[in-house]
Amino acid sequence: MTTMAINLWQQARLQTAIWISLAAVLFAILVGLVLVASMGVPLTDAISAFAEGAWGSPYAIAASVNRALALGLVGVGFVLANRANLTNVGGEGQIALGGIAATAMSLYGGASHLPGPLPFIVPMIAAALAGGAWGGIAGVLKAKVGTNEVISTLLMSFIAVWLVYWCVQSESLLRQPMHNTATLPESLEIPEVTKIPLLTGDYSMPLHWGLPIALVLAVIVAIVLDKTVFGLRLRAVGLNPVAARRAGIAIVPSILLVLFLAGALGGLAGAFMLQGDQYSLKARFSSGYGFDGLVVGLLARGSVPGVIASALLFGFLRSGGINMELAAGIPSAIVMVIQGVIIVTLAGAAFWMERKRSGK
Amino acid sequence: MSVEMVAVFAGSSIRLAMPLLLSAAGELVSERAGVLNMSVEGMMLMGAFGGAMGSLYTGSPVLGLLIGIVAVIPVAALQAFLSNTLRANQIVTGIGINILVLGATTTAYRAILGSRSRTEIPGLDKWAPPFLGDIPWFGDAVFHQTWLLYAGLVVVAIAAWVMRYTALGLAVHAAGAEPRAVDKSGLSVTRIRYGAVFFTGFMSALAGCFLSIGDIHTFTEGMTNGGGYLALAAVIFGNWKIGRTVLACLFFGAATALQFQLPAMGINVPNALLIMLPYLMALLAVGGLVGRQSAPAYLTQAFVR
Repeated sequence: MTTMAINLWQQARLQTAIWISLAAVLFAILVGLVLVASMGVPLTDAISAFAEGAWGSPYAIAASVNRALALGLVGVGFVLANRANLTNVGGEGQIALGGIAATAMSLYGGASHLPGPLPFIVPMIAAALAGGAWGGIAGVLKAKVGTNEVISTLLMSFIAVWLVYWCVQSESLLRQPMHNTATLPESLEIPEVTKIPLLTGDYSMPLHWGLPIALVLAVIVAIVLDKTVFGLRLRAVGLNPVAARRAGIAIVPSILLVLFLAGALGGLAGAFMLQGDQYSLKARFSSGYGFDGLVVGLLARGSVPGVIASALLFGFLRSGGINMELAAGIPSAIVMVIQGVIIVTLAGAAFWMERKRSGK
Repeated sequence: MSVEMVAVFAGSSIRLAMPLLLSAAGELVSERAGVLNMSVEGMMLMGAFGGAMGSLYTGSPVLGLLIGIVAVIPVAALQAFLSNTLRANQIVTGIGINILVLGATTTAYRAILGSRSRTEIPGLDKWAPPFLGDIPWFGDAVFHQTWLLYAGLVVVAIAAWVMRYTALGLAVHAAGAEPRAVDKSGLSVTRIRYGAVFFTGFMSALAGCFLSIGDIHTFTEGMTNGGGYLALAAVIFGNWKIGRTVLACLFFGAATALQFQLPAMGINVPNALLIMLPYLMALLAVGGLVGRQSAPAYLTQAFVR
């Protein structure tokens, strides 16, 4: 009887959360539309440019979905760490580290000589490990010195972004050999075999194998969080670390593992971006995907299906925004305004959610 | 290294440290009161934008400065409302505000001036203190700076004095260390914290204006480029003490100046290393490798009566 009541209560809460998220998104889009209108661009032009760029062609759809993949992986990592009440804002750095590792492994790590599908799998694993290590450092600092993971992961994001810059500026690291002064500061293109194969085999719709991989990972994380002892332990650590420790849950390994895993998902996102889309490492490689991924995680309010929905929303928003700038001359920065409004509205709305729960 | 180079290096270090120093001093007050403003970056950017546009349209950089300060008020109000009244997660709201301001200023700038405008904007006058400005070799390169730099130093000094020696300063410290005691003493924690966030906004506006109409006399999209986060790093590295925070800002400024100085001296240090150095130092500081950290006890925790 009690379980049923709790289930109903949880369901009601989930529904409120979904409605609030939807309301925030709609409100933000409305703000965006008002901005577009105030710039003197006909709304129909803007909307058709947006639609064209977001889902107007098979290529556009694939590009949007590929963007959503990276955002979604970071978002799933955020939700995972957040279950233990840890806030991983280091997605940007974890993507960057993943990109560096995947590039290094593809170009110089001998991955291209491996048999079978290994040439593109090994760099992905390297990227996940690198991102995981980057997240793990924050875990070590948290567990050993009590450093707030928000501050450490944020600082490490900036360090990592400049590490990418360093790697592509220095020939002794990942910069392509300089033939003349016009040689761009970026890495060589990775070998064909290390690129993630396309699902369709056709570049007019460049969906790649990252899509099923990411979906499988998302399902695994959802199951781990909701149906396993490990997920329950994370929740206990997050809700009340003192009680969790009394109950015999090892706090330090839980923190380390969960921040490692969140980082690994970010690193994998970096591998997807590099091996599935950009194919060579450039400065500003991560280009805000980590911070957007954080927002995706936030928007999802702790649920993995929520991550998928908001990752798709942001992936399509980004694609559509880019085309709005190209085709209708509207700054794609409007998409940032929309995202900012979503975050601020949701963060503010959390107040009413809490108040409702505590029954005040 | 010649005397001239030392002088130029010192001058540019101070100039580059100044926006950090202004915003870090503002942020320090707010963090002492218990509110972490991740939105310093956004506040600076809004200040830079407001100052630049104000100066461009009125033709007067001083009016521009005022407009820059006014432009930050809504941003600070939003942050204060979210973190104190709605008790929202301070980190999340800060990041959200930063994205919002970056998007809004970029959009507005494009709408007003077009995408690749390099419009020269009237900037604040330069000034050198008497005597100091006349020192041979050093005077001109080190002390001939925007007057806002000197005004800013005065404001920082006043803020440090208020924080240390007055009842108001004591109340601000207590709001972040013992909010319950402040409440019992009859003062309003919420009101103190609102005030502290507005002070951060004011200082960040000065910092932003220093960038746009004090230093380079133009506005570029996202021109703060992480400077607000550097200010946060300086507060952390400064261990929430004003003296050490000022030193951290000067050090960060010097590291930035070295990016331009070292190549001129024929020394080859990766640029990226110098740029990431401040973040690395701040990480070491929060990692406990540079003495014990003592953040205000109730930092980021909303107060519920």
